[in-house]
Amino acid sequence: MKRIWSRLLALRHRDALDRDYDDEAAAHLELATDDYIRRGLPPDEARRRARLDFGSADAAKVAHREARGLGWVEALVFDVRLAWRGLRRDWRAAFAAVAMLTLGLTLHTVVFTVTGAMLWRGFPHVPRSHELVFLQEHDRLGRCCLSYADVADWQAQAPSFQGIAPVGGTAMAFRDPTGRSMDLRVTTVGANLFELLGVPPALGRTFTADDGVAGARPVVLLSDRIWRARFGGRPEVVGSVVQADGTPAEIIGVMPPGFEFPLAADDGLWMPIGPAASLPRGLSAGAFTAIARLRDGVTLARARAELEAVNRGLELAHGDVNRGIVPSVVDHAQWTSGADARVIWGSLWAASAVVLLIACANVANLTVLRTFGRWHQFATCLALGAGRTRIVRQLAIDGVLLTMAAAIPVWPLTQWAVQEWAARTASRYQAIDYAITAETVAYLAGAALVTAALASLAPIVRVLRLTPADTLQASARASTNGRGTRRLVTSLVAAQVALTLVLLTAAGVLVRSFVNITSAVTGVQAPESVAVGLLRLPSERYPTPEARLTLLSRVEAALADVGGVAQVAFSNGLPVKFAGASRALEAEGRPGLDAHPTFSVTTTTPGYFALLGVAVITGRDFTASDDGPSRQVAIVNERFAAVQWPGESAVGQRVRAVERDGPGPWRVVVGVVANVMGADALRQQFQPLVYVPLLQQPPPRSAFFLVRTHGPADRLSRLVRTTVHDLDRDIALDYEGTLATTFAFDRDFMDAEHSELGKYAKVAPAFALVALLLAATGLVAVVGHAVAQRTREIGVRVAIGASAGSIRRLVVADALRPVALGLTLGALAASAVTRLFTSQLVGVSPSDPLSMLGATALLLSTALLACRVPIRRALQVDPAVVLRHE
Amino acid sequence: MARHDKLDLMQGTLDLMVLQTLAAMGPQHGYGLARRIEQRSGGDVLLNQGTIYASLVRLQQRGWIDAEWGTSEANRRAKFYAITKAGRTQLAEQKSYWTRLSAVMGRVLAPAGGDPT
Repeated sequence: MKRIWSRLLALRHRDALDRDYDDEAAAHLELATDDYIRRGLPPDEARRRARLDFGSADAAKVAHREARGLGWVEALVFDVRLAWRGLRRDWRAAFAAVAMLTLGLTLHTVVFTVTGAMLWRGFPHVPRSHELVFLQEHDRLGRCCLSYADVADWQAQAPSFQGIAPVGGTAMAFRDPTGRSMDLRVTTVGANLFELLGVPPALGRTFTADDGVAGARPVVLLSDRIWRARFGGRPEVVGSVVQADGTPAEIIGVMPPGFEFPLAADDGLWMPIGPAASLPRGLSAGAFTAIARLRDGVTLARARAELEAVNRGLELAHGDVNRGIVPSVVDHAQWTSGADARVIWGSLWAASAVVLLIACANVANLTVLRTFGRWHQFATCLALGAGRTRIVRQLAIDGVLLTMAAAIPVWPLTQWAVQEWAARTASRYQAIDYAITAETVAYLAGAALVTAALASLAPIVRVLRLTPADTLQASARASTNGRGTRRLVTSLVAAQVALTLVLLTAAGVLVRSFVNITSAVTGVQAPESVAVGLLRLPSERYPTPEARLTLLSRVEAALADVGGVAQVAFSNGLPVKFAGASRALEAEGRPGLDAHPTFSVTTTTPGYFALLGVAVITGRDFTASDDGPSRQVAIVNERFAAVQWPGESAVGQRVRAVERDGPGPWRVVVGVVANVMGADALRQQFQPLVYVPLLQQPPPRSAFFLVRTHGPADRLSRLVRTTVHDLDRDIALDYEGTLATTFAFDRDFMDAEHSELGKYAKVAPAFALVALLLAATGLVAVVGHAVAQRTREIGVRVAIGASAGSIRRLVVADALRPVALGLTLGALAASAVTRLFTSQLVGVSPSDPLSMLGATALLLSTALLACRVPIRRALQVDPAVVLRHE
Repeated sequence: MARHDKLDLMQGTLDLMVLQTLAAMGPQHGYGLARRIEQRSGGDVLLNQGTIYASLVRLQQRGWIDAEWGTSEANRRAKFYAITKAGRTQLAEQKSYWTRLSAVMGRVLAPAGGDPT
């Protein structure tokens, strides 16, 4: 170690040490001259003799330098220079290798960053976010979410948690100090939440325990987002008082920019939930989630077991209301991406590693083929007794140089790609911290190191296998020389093909699953010509159903006047995405169930079905006269009619909603309409749906508008917005777009299990295609090289009259041997890998033959395409030229 | 012609001679060392005096000798070398190795009795 250090120092101070040596040599000569003079020689002769004794001054200096340690370092520099020259001479191959490694490394680093953020990072701004877990409850029918009363019991009885804070949401009417009124979705939270998260405010303060006690003054905490959007970003807002549902509430603080909790779906205001005692028991008492922080070393399983024990106690104490209610505990990754998130993101990470591996195999192949001409030379060196280390080192330096060149652009590319990913996958229901950290840098460095090793491994193995005897073979005939190399190269190609087939097949099933969802029949005609959006009415200004209906009819009239608008309707839900109200319904004459099944009930204005292009099969649409309480009516879809009254006519039957406080009025079914896809995330079947007139049941705070236009509707949003704001600037618009964009895959409206399918279905094919491209490149190089090696043979064949077809067959057969082997191995692996994605597969089986056959066909045709270049070269072989060379 | 009868130095042997000379004579400059080795070997060693400096820097890097600029008896500036403790240990090891090696070489190379040649 000391020696290495002093040698490196020597390298640094090279000039100083050279000067020191020069001084010493000069002193030596003077001493020697003095000596000779003392022995009686004349000065000139003495000087000559001294110099003669000293020997060659240059040789001594070089020997001194070498001993000083320029030895191996300089040898390294020499080798690096040699490698650099070699790569520059073959710059096309070197460039291809660098490009492939850059691509592979970038993909892999990006996936590492994204996977890490999705699975382990958690919420932005929250320290030790990975300790956070989400608590919910479900009854036997799978209904959620959480009883606040139970949370209070957990807080008291479950020691696994550092703290538990309930989180809910509610819409409230606000009037700011300027008198502007707005309805905002407030996140209601336990007063302990911010202390639990450990996030300090940017301005003012967060909640304290005092804010959560009975009779506490209402307080509001603002997000940076709403503070800027609605309160002008003025610091003096803190301390001012707003009216919340008519009660004064003080704004106590503003959170830092980018802090959203737990989702960005709400408007970004937090208010404390009052004491649990004021809320009734039972799941229906509030749609809560609770967020908790686990104590050090507590596992999810232990936390779950503890809550289960508490719940069993509650069952005994409170009987019916708490019967069969099971708690669930999930971490951030499971919460946002479903229970299988780790398996699937892990698989994607592995897929990106496979792409990198394929790139490495290509580079290894290129290196083997590039240095092919040197094998003979290497073997000769070995035969003459040269060390293998020098050759191995040369190859390793090749690999390191290529990888270093490849790794440099990876860093900015990764930053760009992660930013792009964060922007494109931004969601209201998911807050993920995609920051690139030191871990990413360390990971990239490690990955680059492994890449360098893998890329130079194959050529090095080839060198170590060389025997001096190879020299004899090599000099005998080039075609036999290549045999060992070709075996190595073809097995690399077979491995690439196998891995690519796995990726293609996995991508195939994921894409098919995705398409099964997004291309499901919705029952709506030309959704791209329907502009939609949610109108949120300030409830202070429109407190009564009459006021709201009046406003809606004014909006309707104004929108109908906009150029290009054909029809206008309102509803409380939209097909596919937004369910109407969920109600327990009783059909007349079919009692007997203690719990009535719930159905989605959509309130609509007359003309809704015509606007969507949904046929009225029997009976009639709603009319403007279906308005009063006198004759309550309903329309059902075909599916509902088939389920409730099989073989009977639905028109004339009666249904009613069964509320907590008793049944509502009977409604007469006046029509049956064609099926429309309800708010079903997976869209695999039509649900039974019920429609009631909006005039008889106006929605409380908000309504969707639907505008059918002549031609595409996407350019209408701004016009709709100004039209609405001309009537009342305090009406907030949300979810604006066309029905077609509403139908697009949206992770925020999927169940947790399938919420990331959209990402998987885009990432997996991207990997698969890159892998295909890389494998094809590898194949071109290998087949091309095989053709080059057999030039003489081909020449002879052509000379004795072989047809173009037979030459073509020769080349293709050469190429297809490793491809066939790869396809066989890949098919076996693929069926095992696709099974990992079972939870993501909607309407497609993991062993989907179409995906498998499609992937195989794609690979085969790519392989054949890759043969075209080498075939052309083979056909250009001129037998006369070849034979003359012999 | 006489020079051809001199011995070429094998790698490592010069280092050992330098160490031995420094151990025996105390601190010396390069010229003094070269002269001393020439004298001790009775003129049998082919030594370009300049080559001693490579040996000196090598020994210095291994920590077996120290070096310091000083003034010679003739009032000339020169770099003086002295053996270190580690150098003495190394010298002892090398000495016994060489003794054994030269004994073995002597036995192997000596004409054995009964050799048919």
